[in-house]
Amino acid sequence: MKRYLRYTLAFLLMGALISLQSCEDYFDLDENPNLVNNPPLPTLLSTTTQKTGLNSQRVGSITSFFVQYLASPVAGSSTDTYEVTDYTSTWDALYLAMADIYDMKQKAQEQEAPNYVGVANILMAYHLMLVTDLWGDAPYSEAFDQSTLTPKFDKQEELYNVILTLLDEAVTELSKNDSRVALSPVNDLIHNGNKNNWIKTAYALKARQLNKVSGTTAYNAQAVLAAVEKSYTSNADNADMGVFATINPWASVARNNALLILGGWLSEQLVEHLKGTTTGIMDPRLQKITDPTVTGAFIGTPNGVGNVGSASSTVKDEVYISLNSPITEEDAPLIIVSYPEVKMIEAEAAFRAGNRQRAYNAYLEGIRASMQLFEVSTAAANAYINSPEVSVGAANLTLNLIFKEKYVITYLNPEAWNDARRFDYAYAGFTLPVNAALNTFIRRVAYPQGEASKNPNTPETPPLSDPLWWDK
Amino acid sequence: MRNNFTLIILLLLLYFSTSAIAQEIPVSGKVTGADQGSPLPGVSVLVKGTTTGTTTDANGNFSIQVPSSNATLVFRYLGYETKEVQVGNQSVINVTLSTDTRQLSEVVVTAMGITREKKALGYAASTVETEELVQNRQANVLNAMQGKVAGATITSTGGAPGQGASIIIRGINSIDPNRSSDPLYVIDGVLIDNTTSTFGEGAELRGMSNRLADINPDNIESINILKGGAATALYGLRGANGVVVITTKRGQEGALRVNFTSTAGIEEVNKFPDMQDTYTQGYLGVYDPESFWPSWGPTVEEARQIDPTHPAELYNHFEDAYETGHQYRNSLSFSGGNNAITFYSSISHLRHEGVLPFTDYENIQARLNTDVKLSDKVTTGANFTFVNSGGNRYNADRFNESLSYWSPRWDVTDYIKPDGTMNTYRNNNPIYGAFTNKLEDDVNRFIGGLNFGYQPKEWLGFSYRIGLDTYTDDRTRTAPGPRGVADEIVYEDNGLGFVNEYTTKFRAINSTFITTLQSSFGENFNGTIRLGHELYDRKVKSFGVEGTELAVFDYFNLTNARFLTSVQQEEEYRLMGFFGEASVDYKNLLFLTLTGRNDITSSLERSNRSFFYPSVSLSYVFSEQFDLPSFINMGKLRLSYAEIGKDALPYSTSSGFANYTGLPTGYTGFTRAALLGNEDLRPEFTNTYEAGLEMSFLNNRLGFDFTYYYSLSKDQILNIQVASSTGFVRAAVNSGEMRNKGVEIALNAVPVQTNDFSWDTKLVFSANRNKILSIREGLEEIPYASQFGYVGSTVTLKLIPGQPYGNIYGSHYQRYYGPGEEEDPLFIDENRPIVIGANGFPVRAPLSSQKILGNSQPDWVGGLTNTFRYKNLSLTSLFDARQGFEKYNQLGNFFAAFGIAEYTENRNETIVFDGVLKDGTPNTKPVFLGQGIGPDGVNYGNGYYRNVYRGVSENFVEDASWVRLRSLTLSYTLPSSWFEDIFVRNASVSLTGNNLWLSTDYSGFDPETSSAPSGSNVDAFAGFTYPAVRSYLFTLNVGF
Repeated sequence: MKRYLRYTLAFLLMGALISLQSCEDYFDLDENPNLVNNPPLPTLLSTTTQKTGLNSQRVGSITSFFVQYLASPVAGSSTDTYEVTDYTSTWDALYLAMADIYDMKQKAQEQEAPNYVGVANILMAYHLMLVTDLWGDAPYSEAFDQSTLTPKFDKQEELYNVILTLLDEAVTELSKNDSRVALSPVNDLIHNGNKNNWIKTAYALKARQLNKVSGTTAYNAQAVLAAVEKSYTSNADNADMGVFATINPWASVARNNALLILGGWLSEQLVEHLKGTTTGIMDPRLQKITDPTVTGAFIGTPNGVGNVGSASSTVKDEVYISLNSPITEEDAPLIIVSYPEVKMIEAEAAFRAGNRQRAYNAYLEGIRASMQLFEVSTAAANAYINSPEVSVGAANLTLNLIFKEKYVITYLNPEAWNDARRFDYAYAGFTLPVNAALNTFIRRVAYPQGEASKNPNTPETPPLSDPLWWDK
Repeated sequence: MRNNFTLIILLLLLYFSTSAIAQEIPVSGKVTGADQGSPLPGVSVLVKGTTTGTTTDANGNFSIQVPSSNATLVFRYLGYETKEVQVGNQSVINVTLSTDTRQLSEVVVTAMGITREKKALGYAASTVETEELVQNRQANVLNAMQGKVAGATITSTGGAPGQGASIIIRGINSIDPNRSSDPLYVIDGVLIDNTTSTFGEGAELRGMSNRLADINPDNIESINILKGGAATALYGLRGANGVVVITTKRGQEGALRVNFTSTAGIEEVNKFPDMQDTYTQGYLGVYDPESFWPSWGPTVEEARQIDPTHPAELYNHFEDAYETGHQYRNSLSFSGGNNAITFYSSISHLRHEGVLPFTDYENIQARLNTDVKLSDKVTTGANFTFVNSGGNRYNADRFNESLSYWSPRWDVTDYIKPDGTMNTYRNNNPIYGAFTNKLEDDVNRFIGGLNFGYQPKEWLGFSYRIGLDTYTDDRTRTAPGPRGVADEIVYEDNGLGFVNEYTTKFRAINSTFITTLQSSFGENFNGTIRLGHELYDRKVKSFGVEGTELAVFDYFNLTNARFLTSVQQEEEYRLMGFFGEASVDYKNLLFLTLTGRNDITSSLERSNRSFFYPSVSLSYVFSEQFDLPSFINMGKLRLSYAEIGKDALPYSTSSGFANYTGLPTGYTGFTRAALLGNEDLRPEFTNTYEAGLEMSFLNNRLGFDFTYYYSLSKDQILNIQVASSTGFVRAAVNSGEMRNKGVEIALNAVPVQTNDFSWDTKLVFSANRNKILSIREGLEEIPYASQFGYVGSTVTLKLIPGQPYGNIYGSHYQRYYGPGEEEDPLFIDENRPIVIGANGFPVRAPLSSQKILGNSQPDWVGGLTNTFRYKNLSLTSLFDARQGFEKYNQLGNFFAAFGIAEYTENRNETIVFDGVLKDGTPNTKPVFLGQGIGPDGVNYGNGYYRNVYRGVSENFVEDASWVRLRSLTLSYTLPSSWFEDIFVRNASVSLTGNNLWLSTDYSGFDPETSSAPSGSNVDAFAGFTYPAVRSYLFTLNVGF
């Protein structure tokens, strides 16, 4: 028995030796080599500003069907015809971007970098606008902060106020001059580190937001005008993002379409609008938006109908998103909010406030600035602007004219759908898509499966014809 | 529980030791084996009709006291036939026991390569021997085990060359679907990797190999499957899903032996879905030869009147698109040695071309095993394997999806134009896709092990083993850009061309040191104590560069790409364990084994990193003790209890920021990592109870082995999917309980045995029942996977407490519930009538109501092997069954949406749907099933199949149960008299058919296939998979 003890002892000693050699540090592999813990603020700025631009396009690629900028080349396509469609990937992209924005804000606060806090607020406000204008109620107060795995959904009305607060705070934070980390011009993919432009963007978004409630008692035209006044003064101030891993995502749609991976077909509604069939005058921006068909004509595709030209899709007998357009060419920046749009907001608010002259001036300036953005020649722009259909005089200005012009200005921008809903889709010649799943225009989209399946707080989606809070 | 158990064992021991008292006449002798004439130690010697007995010592000697000269001694030894000898007046009785050929695997390889007598094991052991393994000539070791192991569910994920296979032992035991249920694989003591890497863009759908596919089954001597916690206890947490212990062939002392095996064969898709052949291309019944819609046009006859070039009959594009596959494998082995050194070496080459065009796989390997006996005390050995494997993989999901869009008005096999561009009327041609959109993997792998043994004393031994498994896995993914010729239609996925290069470097080292102390104490007790230390250290690094937009359209070089992005990931993992095993046997009839292991893992934080867990098992060979009727040869009871720990996936404890990949070169960004890590993760534990009974009868011509097990996993470590509103994709949590219980039965019988003819039969059966007892507090469900279905028919796999793993949830028809009748929120009541809407069509319940439409885990699996031998001829059949499970048929969903399914032939009929209206009254409204304006003048829009049918998941979750003739092999051993004068030692030829017959109600491809890669727990989707194949193989085996 003794020998057992001896050998057992020897073994145990050996075991102890081995474990001593392989000291505790050997197992300290909890630092994930694929991750970093404290990314510098500029590296979060590049991520969040790019995601913001891309998400604007991502949402635009849904809403552009609802406002009939685009039409599917395939009959009965789901987004085109108001079917309940699962936009989980869009939702995820928005929320994961908001998480990055949230983190950037936290880190900026820790590092006493108010300018980053300000930018984070603006980007967050913009994302919230995208989210709530698609779905209505949405998680925010319990989102991203690791407090719960099932955040509650905040009421849209509350989110509306959150957005305004975020924008106001953004102005305060950006106005501070004691930021320990300056906005990095290289990593700020929207305003190249220009604080003043960020402040203007905060006001532009605020104007947009205040104007959105035009149909409710909360609407205050003077407040809109006050925001507009502190906002953009030229296209040089526009919030846009033009840094892509490859090319502008709209350009990529256009390029795929050229390779017969069909997409980006312009709706008959937009084309007829620009041709003047429904408005009375040919808009020179048409040729800057798209290229004529093989026959030199401009032919759009009716929504819900699919390809109506010759059966062959190799013949370019409809018009599409173009690689030659300043809005959708390969290196075109994605426009988030622009000077021309702000001018139209001003026109609408002034009009509603009864200041027709201011409204009219803003209306004409908006069109002019838009022509500039679309790179329309001055002569063609002037010809259009000076035409009696456009230059109606302050006394004859109508909301219809303002919405009509804004419809072109917001080409492919998600804001177009907000306008369309506020305007009850009252654009000339605007009709339901063929074989629409609803018997009225679409007012919201369904909560995505991805969130609903993992977050029991996700509300039931009402019929897609039910208006959002601000749209009632 | 543990205390009670110990008490019972003590009582049993007490009982047996007090029973040995009576003593009168002394008898002694020696027991030898008839096979080699060597003494047999440990033979049970029992006085018949009493409990008096002893066992032979190491030299085969025994001595016993018998009550009288009338006594009869019974000599029993596993693997030998039992012999009875009347004592009479003999005082020395020498006995020779003849071998019992029926008693296979008397010695089994258990954990850590320890060989133990099968009868000493207190847990179930399943062994597959080389003859069984190579019988159906499967290239993948896992496929070769199908239907042969009780308690293992083995699934081939598809029929692609080199495609992975999955094994689940005793059910899925983790709630986390991302944690593989794959067991641990050990080859000759080397812990080898069996992951199925999906690194690289799009690899998850390309049927990548599980790494065990690198191993040539021809080199394997036996495979032991350790199933329960008690069996795997020494392997520690890495054995939590079971362990597959592979022992390769070793050299035998003697002259050089050479063996050559050559297999060649062809294969074809074993099952195609049924398709309609009446309606052609177009939409709303309008013919359009360039329509996207393959089958919503008019009838073929109507189309031919418009378009005389329309073929008289539609093509069967699914059958046309798949080809006949080919494969061959040649293996050559050499073995031999002298009393000091033995060796076994082999080389082999496999080439396999699949049924899906342009898919193939090749495997070249060389192996060397040597054993060196330096002295009686010192032994050493080495084994090395080098493998080069890989091939062209294609995305079968995409192929079949594209085939669904393809109109059978056109010949899909006419895929290429003379200028090299895609030939199509408009839609993507799937064959052109397979031709141009490529992923080729190239794996170079080395597996090596060295072992040393030192036995200074008979009762003391040391062994040390070090193993290395390392490989590089290079993947090249390419597609050409547009050629720029007129009218070119680009295959959608190819875009502007790309070239992606990926490399994974894998390295794992394991080291094992074991000390063994053996002794007998007292007259009746033998004891063994093993103490060991094990270390496992793994490092995996993957990186890749993806280049898009090729300047020269088909020059696949990264320098030719306009945009480059890089991906990189690394993982390190370390695990150390101290373990001990103490076993005691009493009179060779009662065996008690206790084990304990303490693991230290790198994947948990310091405070939770080190944890201990024990096991105890008992084997009671009651036939050694009692005088049972003579037709019973052996009877053994097993009982075991084990606790086993489990750690987290590496880096589950940390959060952070990952590289943001959306930016071009010149910009750097970081984004919140997908996983919310948890520093407080604790190890999870699984407790397993197992009981078993093994008996054999009638000279071992009949035998069974029955096992019941119950296991409970608590505090599971999960990376659950979380709503993206949290800002995360997944979160690591410690929560949830899951239970598995089940039975395993193995039956052996030799119904006929004559000199010339024999019939052997073997049945394995297992059934597992899983239940999720709880998930995380505050969570009602954990969704873990979903697969797309049109307009609301997407199905989701969710874990809900009280329900089993694998439930498929989806949309369903509204059933009628009268006033006051409550609807079950989870189950469909099939007996209730379907509610029909005012429009005359069935109503789908609101999408918020997602009910259980099926479960992907089978009720039971079974395999039946029959071998008939007549002289030199043998015929072996293997029937394999998997019953009582469902799968979502995504292909079926597309077939409905695109009017391809055979049942859509009725689209021009007007029918009255069976069901009731909202108020419960029977539906009487006739409706048209087709598109557009019906005969009744009503506009039916896109038609019933698109408006209603395709949007209801219930229609596409199908019973996937199957029974198949897994294999049938006819082989003939050439008479040795033919080779008397030549150098050939032996030769045989065989013909094998795999998957010759399949019985299933499932409407898609063979339902065994799966959309997810091997190793995934997501096995409920079987739509657009690489179809299974039926193969015919010819094999020649010659020994020199």
